[in-house]
Order: sequence, then structure tokens, then C-alpha cells
Amino acid sequence: MWSVGSRALFRREVLRFVRRPKNTFMPPAITNVLYFVVFGVVLGGRIDRIAGFEYILFILPGLIVLGTISNAFENAAFSIFHGRWNEYIHETLTSPMAYTEMVAAYVAASSVRGLIVGVIIAGVGRVFTPITVEHAGFLVATMVVISVLFAGLGIVGGLWARDFDDLTVMNQFLVRPLVFFGAVFYSLEVLPPLWQKVLLANPMVYMVDTVRYSFLGYADLVPATSLAVLVGFTAVVLAVDVYLFKVGYGLTE
Amino acid sequence: MQAAIETRDLTKEYGDVRALQGLSLTVEDGEFFGLLGPNGAGKTTFINVLVGLVRKTGGEATVFGHDVETDYRQARDAIGLAPQEFNVDRFFPIREVLMHKAGYHGISKDEAARRADEALKRVGIYDKRDERFDWLSGGMKRRLLLARALVTDPDLLILDEPTAGVDVQLRRDLWDLVTELNEDGTTVLLTTHYIEEAERLCDRVAILNEGRKVTVATPDDLKRRGSDTITVRTADPAGSLPAIERAAYAKKVRVDGDQVEVQVGDGGATVPRLLEDLQAAGNEVVDLDVARTSLEEIFVDLTKREDRTVTRSSASEAGDGESDGGESDTDDSRGEEVTREGVR
Repeated sequence: MWSVGSRALFRREVLRFVRRPKNTFMPPAITNVLYFVVFGVVLGGRIDRIAGFEYILFILPGLIVLGTISNAFENAAFSIFHGRWNEYIHETLTSPMAYTEMVAAYVAASSVRGLIVGVIIAGVGRVFTPITVEHAGFLVATMVVISVLFAGLGIVGGLWARDFDDLTVMNQFLVRPLVFFGAVFYSLEVLPPLWQKVLLANPMVYMVDTVRYSFLGYADLVPATSLAVLVGFTAVVLAVDVYLFKVGYGLTE
Repeated sequence: MQAAIETRDLTKEYGDVRALQGLSLTVEDGEFFGLLGPNGAGKTTFINVLVGLVRKTGGEATVFGHDVETDYRQARDAIGLAPQEFNVDRFFPIREVLMHKAGYHGISKDEAARRADEALKRVGIYDKRDERFDWLSGGMKRRLLLARALVTDPDLLILDEPTAGVDVQLRRDLWDLVTELNEDGTTVLLTTHYIEEAERLCDRVAILNEGRKVTVATPDDLKRRGSDTITVRTADPAGSLPAIERAAYAKKVRVDGDQVEVQVGDGGATVPRLLEDLQAAGNEVVDLDVARTSLEEIFVDLTKREDRTVTRSSASEAGDGESDGGESDTDDSRGEEVTREGVR
């Protein structure tokens, strides 16, 4: 699956975002500086501690998840859609690579972008507050899984989109609501019992909770179960990606 | 020997539109094969089925014996495609674009770099290697498409309208290059609107119309199916020429004052007899010209005739017998004229 062809496509995909830091790495860095300034410095002192943690520290894992998944998603969706729009994805499609190799390369490159953004956000956070990692192995596993999951979803989005507007729609109307109702900025405990149950249908809750557990050792849910569910989701999404490439959805006539 | 391309009853439907209608075609290994046809004839659809950009609705298609769907990896590895549209990665300098394409075909990074340089030199744009595609002129863009097709060293080179909109010099450069590649053993499939191009380069051509094969032949064979026109000027007005009108060699005779036009099968072979007959009728010949049939005329006749056939068969399928009868007669008379001109 990781052939010379996959490596070439992976390299192409990584070079595309690495050479454009103004479009890829600078925006999340600046956005998160603003988050930390507002929620940490300006408002932080006025907000009560949550589960015994300062507010800025409590939201840090959520912000890392948010940056990672949205960048993994956006990279895959944009790269696939732009390639379709300008038809240069034909360079890949007319090559002898297997469909699994193509998907592996696109997903791996987009996950790498998501993970780099996650590290950048952690670095920015470190400037504002000391960070400790309670469960490093869990953190790495979860971050890899969620970046792959959203890179895989980004591929579906990139294949589905018919116009650039569709990319914006996906980000604004799907990813963003999931994030804001995903317990990034609050603990589930602060919600009424009914809403706590409703939010369990949101996969973001599991991601944020597991990453928060990795950093702080605090979780609303059972982290191992959350990670297992995410791995299952990811496997399904990758299988869908390969299937869509195989049938040529959005790619061939 | 395995055919480079073989299709049987290939069909492609887009809803009600049938882009390919049971197309069976064989391109032999090492051949320089032309696909001619008007816009919408199915040429690009045919090519895209081979490279996997279009899914066939029915029939079979193989490239060097590999099915284009079940053995798609082997089939695509054999093909280098220079498409009609500029579908090039705009993010990277063109040298890297070629390196990526070579990489997708399993060629290592160092070898890909060497091949990219070689391909760019071969098409004459090596000094532009660090430019991006958008900064190239139209002619250079065409050259790049060819370089990208060559960078994987394909056994089958497919060129879809490679000289559309390029200047004469570039066209000739491209002709020389693809001829050289073909002489070195690469099979070439060329689609073109320029009949001269097909006539000059191709061993055989297929004429397509509305997704069907009209005919496959060598350019010379096709030209033999047409008519030459001998135009003679006589010293005095020629009057009527019953002997020539009755002559077996004359397909059509037109007299206009001192100018006589005679349509014949082979102009060169007929001239002496025509001159003899004119002199026997008391006409002194002062000037003579033989206009050879061009492949273009044959092409136009064949595709027109096909259009009429399709229209007729569609109408009769609709079962409107009486009114079709009248139209059919008209069509047949036109059809006969075409037949007299040797176009079948």
C-alpha cells in the first residue's frame, strides 16, 4: 500500500501545504493566539476553574483537537476538490497506482498537516500556560486517529463538492457546529442531564474528552471506549474513501 | 503479437446520449493510428475509457491485452496521455510536475528527476523548468503536455488534438518528434481535426461519427475512394461533349464556355484519354489542371453520408413510413451522387 507511487503522491501533497505557510499554518497559529489572549488573559481570571483546572488549561485540549481536525479535513477536501476543478487529479487517476495507494497518500498527507497544526497550537498554548501530558501514548494514538478520521472525511467532502461554495458550507455548517457543541469550551457536567445525553451523539465529544484525558488526566467519559469508537469510525470512513475512488464518485464520468 | 488497443462493442451512454455505440477497433503494436471525426464523434470519450477517466457502459477494451477496468494498473502503466485540455498541476514548477507524474508510475525520485530533465529537453522547454504552468505560452503548454506523456516512457502514446491552436513551426516540431518516437517502436494513437496531420503521420486512420466507426483504412486507400477533377480550357467554347459524357472514366462532366470539368477516379491515368477524346471532338486544349481528392473531402463526404444514414434509420425506426418515403427518395438520389463519386 505504501509504494513508490504513494510516496510520490504523499510528497506532492505535503509540499503543497508546506510551501504555503501563510495559507496553512499561520491562520491557526494567529487564531489560537487570539483564543488564548481572550480566554486566558482577558477573561480567564473571571471564569471559574472547571474540574479543578484553570479555564485556559481546560480548553487547551479542545483547541488542539479543533485545529487538528479542521486542518486535516480542509486539506483533504481542498486538495481533492481543487484537483478535480482544474482536472489535474487526472495525473493521479491515469497512473497505475491502486485506489488504496491513492487514498493512503491523500489521507496521510492531510493527517500530517492536522498534526503539525496541533503541535503549533500546543506550542502557542505553552506560552500562556504550563502544560503537562498525563498519558503520552494515549495522546499520540488519539491525535493520529482523529487526524486520519477527518482527513478521510475531507476526501468524501472533496469528492462530493460541486463548487468552492460547497467546501465553505461543509466547514461552516458541519464541522463548526460539531466543534461548538463538542464540549471544547465546557465540561459536559455543566449541562442539564438531557443535553449531556444529546451531546453524546456528537463524535467531537469523544475526541475532546480523550485528548483532555491525555493531557490532564480528567475525562467525562471512558477514554479507552472513546478511542475504540473513533478507531471504528475511522476504519469505516477509510473504506468509504477507497470505495468512492473505486467507483469513480466525483472523479470519472 | 498483442494488439496495443483492442475494443469490442464498446459503448458509453450518458443518460439518453450515446457517446460510443458499439465501437470495435484494433490498433496494432507499433502502429501510428489516427482517429478522425467531427466534434462529438466520441474520440475523446474513447481515449478516456482507455485511461480510466470514463467508465464504459458496455463492451470490452484492452491495452496490450490488459482489461482497462480489471487490470487497470497494467493498462494505465503502458499509456502516456497528452490530453486536449490543460489539466496540469498549477502548484509546482513544471519539472516537479513531471517528477510527480513519473513517481506515480513507480519511478524512483532520482530517476524521475533525470527523466523529467530529459523530457523537457526533448520538447525544447528545459530552460523553463522552474516556471509554473500558468507562466508558459500556449505553445509551451502543449509541449509540456507531451513531455508529461513521455516522462513515463510509455509503450502507447495517446495524443488528443496535440496541435490544436499551435503555430506552424511547433506543429512541425511535434510531428518530427512523434514520428521519431513511433519509429523507435512506440505505438501512437492520434486524434486530430487537421486532416493533413493524419495524412502525413498515420499508418491507418479510423473515421468516427456519432460514436460509431465509419471506416478504417490507410490514408491512401481512403483517397482512392474519392474523385479527381480534371479542368481543361479549350481555345473556343467547347459546346456539348456527348462522347466524353458517355465515357466510362467520366463520373461527372460540366461544360461552361471554354472550361470543361470532368470528375474521374484517377486523374493522372485519365488525362491522355480525355485529351484524345477532346481533340477527336474538334477542341484545341490550351490549359489543363488536375485537382487531386483530398482526405478532407473524403472525410466530409463519409461523415455527411453517415449522418444521413443515421437520420434515415432513426426515422424509419419511428415508423412514420409514408412521409419518410418521400424524404428517403431524396436522400437516395443524393446518396447515389456520393456513390458515383466513389464514396462508399
